[in-house]
Amino acid sequence: MTAVLQDDDRTTTATGAEPAPPGRPRPPGARLRRHLGRQWQLWALMAPAIAFTLVFAYVPMYGLQLAFRRFDFEAGLTGGEWVGLFYFEQFFSSPQFWPLLRNTAVISVSTLVGGFIAPIVLALLINQVVGRRRKRFTQTATYLPHFISIVVVVGMLQVFLSPSNGLVTQLLERVGITGVNFLGDPSSFVPVYVISEVWQHCGWNSIIYLAALASVDTQLYEAARIDGANRWQIIRNVDLPALVPTMVVLFILNMGGVLATGFEKIFLMQNTLNLPVSEVIATYVYKIGIVGNQFSYATAIGLFNTVVNFAFLLVANSVAKRVSSTSLW
Amino acid sequence: MTTSTPSATPTRSAGPAAALRRMRHQSPGDLAFAAFVGVALTAVVFATLYPIWFVAIASVSAPDLVQSGQVLLFPRGVNSFGYEQIFADARIWQGYRNTLTYAVVGTAINMLVTIPAAYALSRREFRTRRVLIFFFAFTMFFNGGLIPNYLLYRDLGLLNTMWVFVLPTALNVYNLIIARAFFEHSLPEELHEAAFIDGASYFQVFTRMVIPLSKPILSVILLYYLVAHWNDFFTGLVFIRDADLQPLQVVLRDILLSNNVFAGGAGGAGGTGGGYGQQFADQIKYGVIVVSTLPVVVLYPFLQKYFEKGVLIGSVKG
Amino acid sequence: MPATAPRPHPRRPRGRSRRVTGLVASCAAAGLLLSGCGADAQADDSISVMVVKHGLTKPMAEMAWVQQLEEVAGVPVEWEEVSSDWDQKKNPMLAAGDVPDVIIGFNAVTDQDLVTFHSLFEDLSDDMDALPNAQAMFDEVDGAQDLVTRDGAIRALPSYKKYWPQAITHQYVNQQWLDTLGLEAPTTWDELFDVLTAFKEGDPNGNGQADEIPLDFSPVGTTGFGYFQPTALLGSTGMQVVNGGGNGYFLEDGEVKNLFVDERYRDLVEFLHRCWEAGLMSPDAFTQDYSTYQSVARGTGDQARVGFSWGWSASDRFGPGVYQQYAAIGQLQQEAGQSAPVRWSWDYENLTPNAVLVSASTPHKDAVLRMVDQFYAPDTSVQVLWGDLGTNVEKTGDEQYTVLPPADPALDPSTWKWTSSVADNGPFFIRPEMEVQLPADLSEAVADSAPLQPAYDGVDVLRDVYPQPFLKLDEDDTLVSSLNDTAVLGVVMPQFAQWVTRGGATRDWDEHVETVLDVGLAENVEIRQRYYDEYAASR
Repeated sequence: MTAVLQDDDRTTTATGAEPAPPGRPRPPGARLRRHLGRQWQLWALMAPAIAFTLVFAYVPMYGLQLAFRRFDFEAGLTGGEWVGLFYFEQFFSSPQFWPLLRNTAVISVSTLVGGFIAPIVLALLINQVVGRRRKRFTQTATYLPHFISIVVVVGMLQVFLSPSNGLVTQLLERVGITGVNFLGDPSSFVPVYVISEVWQHCGWNSIIYLAALASVDTQLYEAARIDGANRWQIIRNVDLPALVPTMVVLFILNMGGVLATGFEKIFLMQNTLNLPVSEVIATYVYKIGIVGNQFSYATAIGLFNTVVNFAFLLVANSVAKRVSSTSLW
Repeated sequence: MTTSTPSATPTRSAGPAAALRRMRHQSPGDLAFAAFVGVALTAVVFATLYPIWFVAIASVSAPDLVQSGQVLLFPRGVNSFGYEQIFADARIWQGYRNTLTYAVVGTAINMLVTIPAAYALSRREFRTRRVLIFFFAFTMFFNGGLIPNYLLYRDLGLLNTMWVFVLPTALNVYNLIIARAFFEHSLPEELHEAAFIDGASYFQVFTRMVIPLSKPILSVILLYYLVAHWNDFFTGLVFIRDADLQPLQVVLRDILLSNNVFAGGAGGAGGTGGGYGQQFADQIKYGVIVVSTLPVVVLYPFLQKYFEKGVLIGSVKG
Repeated sequence: MPATAPRPHPRRPRGRSRRVTGLVASCAAAGLLLSGCGADAQADDSISVMVVKHGLTKPMAEMAWVQQLEEVAGVPVEWEEVSSDWDQKKNPMLAAGDVPDVIIGFNAVTDQDLVTFHSLFEDLSDDMDALPNAQAMFDEVDGAQDLVTRDGAIRALPSYKKYWPQAITHQYVNQQWLDTLGLEAPTTWDELFDVLTAFKEGDPNGNGQADEIPLDFSPVGTTGFGYFQPTALLGSTGMQVVNGGGNGYFLEDGEVKNLFVDERYRDLVEFLHRCWEAGLMSPDAFTQDYSTYQSVARGTGDQARVGFSWGWSASDRFGPGVYQQYAAIGQLQQEAGQSAPVRWSWDYENLTPNAVLVSASTPHKDAVLRMVDQFYAPDTSVQVLWGDLGTNVEKTGDEQYTVLPPADPALDPSTWKWTSSVADNGPFFIRPEMEVQLPADLSEAVADSAPLQPAYDGVDVLRDVYPQPFLKLDEDDTLVSSLNDTAVLGVVMPQFAQWVTRGGATRDWDEHVETVLDVGLAENVEIRQRYYDEYAASR
């Protein structure tokens, strides 16, 4: 029996599997083999993404080799003298290396921890709100700060935390705590930074978790309530498990940010009093790279930074693979 | 054991009568929990809304009062200098127009590139998917730097055109990974099997089945891309020379920074705009956020309805 | 059973999926097509000029003198105006070699940039015949040519304005408060301390609250010292600083030194610490930003809040409500009857570098040179600095001008100047032989600098004033030096804040000096000494 071209795929096969007579289960490999024959369709779906990535991400990657070359403008980006690991050694042996690394790690990891947990908690709380309008209002209220530009957020911090007449300072004085200087005290830089980060982005970051919660089958909630679970138990047994895949993926991705701090906010918050804890790799690279025209050195430091981040991502991914069913690859 | 009976008749779920009804059906533990949720969320909402409120009133208050911490709950020394300055600048309107264009076109391209790829990568039978994910994830970390990118855009003729806003960032790997995770875990495999038995192609499954069922994730990714386009100021700053092509954020940033120009200390010769202009610089700072945030805030509620529960009711039997 | 396995026919995607793919394809095609069309949009028959200007300045097209420039050039001019984030824009532009025909701005392209990117800019040393006005500036102003020459090549032109005072930072005390409390203006550090204490305790502004801020100063950044900061008092010890301190280098008797390892700096820091401990300084001094600092000084209504500070002019620093209460005073002595003569910061403000640069690959070199030279013509220069003839400036005779008061009564003269034109950011030559009736803000600033004039008496410029803009470090030295500076400043600036607020300058001094020298200061001083010796030898 020859295969006949028909409009449905039933009789078009990649291999010689014969169409099963109606009502009988197919041979086990048949469906799989049929799927394999349609792989090209998946490639077609992927094509634009691959094309854009190749052109805009991989083509410019030759710029990374600037980290191993002396920048010579006359010779172009690839023409400078090859110096191998010179700039890396220069960075590792400079007196700023350990302070920069320590400051960057402390700020990033604290932001990571706070910024990972808060959106989850917030999403779980908002999900409990009854009433569509109230829920929408709460959501809108919490994500609004995300849109405020960093320049303004830092400006507000300076107004609220000013040691002489800031709102927070005044409130503390009324409860008897005096002499605080949140803006200048080095030990308060990280808490102020992290809390304002969480404040600004927690609502926005909870959106993805709320979307995951919205996809939970309502029948699960009904079943749980019928079984007599209280609200807390429902959260633990229905909501949280629904969030786990998203949590794992986001956690892995966040691990890739272990040494990544935003540049602009820290730069704006830096002052002479907190500089020992607020000078991070990003601001240092700005000062020497943009202002000092030290392109090779800046590229080398940046490359070191991303290699560390990437290594963390790889580790997190393999741990996730072992521990849960979700991972990036 | 108390149960809450699902209402068969359409009764309002909000309002005091409904609340009382709910309370009667709940255990003390549940009530305490609900109270806790209420208190926590009220605190959160206040903590997020108060600074926003502050921004709004500061944008119409006299700046020296704001600076000295005297503006707390209501505007004082009300004047509209900030907004006058912002809207008098004709570039604002051009900026709004440009940003709208870039955001709409850009987000459309983003969705067309990202979502099909995320779906393809979520299919376990796709043999090369692990390699491809790595291929994409690698680019999240390693990129050639500003100058090679600049040279590439120049060679492709993207510089100083609208396409530099939408093409290089066509794919955001972070969003791709999130969408893929959603497809992997929230799309029931049974639906696929049923479709394949009926002889559907991947394209058909994708467009007719996956997309309608994925409204939450589509809304999220759409929102993420849209906001990213809306907030983008760096692209216009570095890759555009023509003032008419600048998006809103660049215009606002210009106004903001130009008025804040002394942030690093007195620049240039003395007397640089000291008097009148400097006085109101802060007001402009606050007015700028209101102007830039308003449109997105208005848009979000329309997308919210897709997040609501019950999207998958009835799609899978048994 | 089929004899052979038929190859699957590629199913053509149907319906919506086909439409989707089609849409993607056409988007991509359209994108590439349009991008191709968009390329090379720069018209090659016009001159492109990039102006790095102040945020307040109005668009170039609205300035009348700009029309004159375009006529002189004979070629249409496209103005590109930048007023923020210039650093971030400049970097990729230079590195990719994409420079416009002309770049204008105050030090828009710095010497450091020129070291790396010099091949992008035209060497004007062999074009001076086409630039007679600029040549006049080189002839009449001592040092103008040296300022922009490196290895014999001139790749930028400076600006010269005759009327600016030698000192940019001026010293003010609230005279009305002094009168209320029956005190004299301070002449030494100890007297200053007593006056500040009296300000704090005596409620001189008479509002019944102890809200007076005896001493306030411009926020000290992490990248060095500048104008309007306490380093102004370093001169009391006899130390001659430049530009408010900068990275700390100064010259003493032909020897390059750095204030961060000098004991006189330690003395100043201890004095400031004394003031801080006694609550005589604004508690926000180290954490406020510039706009807060400015608005605090303006007081409320006619009640002042600040007792002693530094600024450009009283009206600029303290605002229209309270500025009349202040008097400009001269430099203080560290101790009464000291032998070292007092000095004041030497500010390089009359002659400023790198105001205009020309691209090495411009196709319109003649037109560009004509236009550039026109900037330095007398009438144009005056208009570049203050604004259009007729509205902002009036010509009252040959080389005689009067700067008019603001047409908008709500604006002060300074804001008016900055709104009307590129002002100090532009290229101009205000000639020594010109007579200009100065606007109110400038004449006020000149008057306020008068008490400081005695501090410049007897200064040996060659041996005691560090010629910072004139030292042109070569590429290798620039790289080493800037890395060292970043490292040094990263140590000394936080240390300054620490010592002032917590004390310990004397206790930690030796260790501090050792650390700072080690981290790169010793190397930098040695580099600069070399360049200074060369410079001195050529004078």
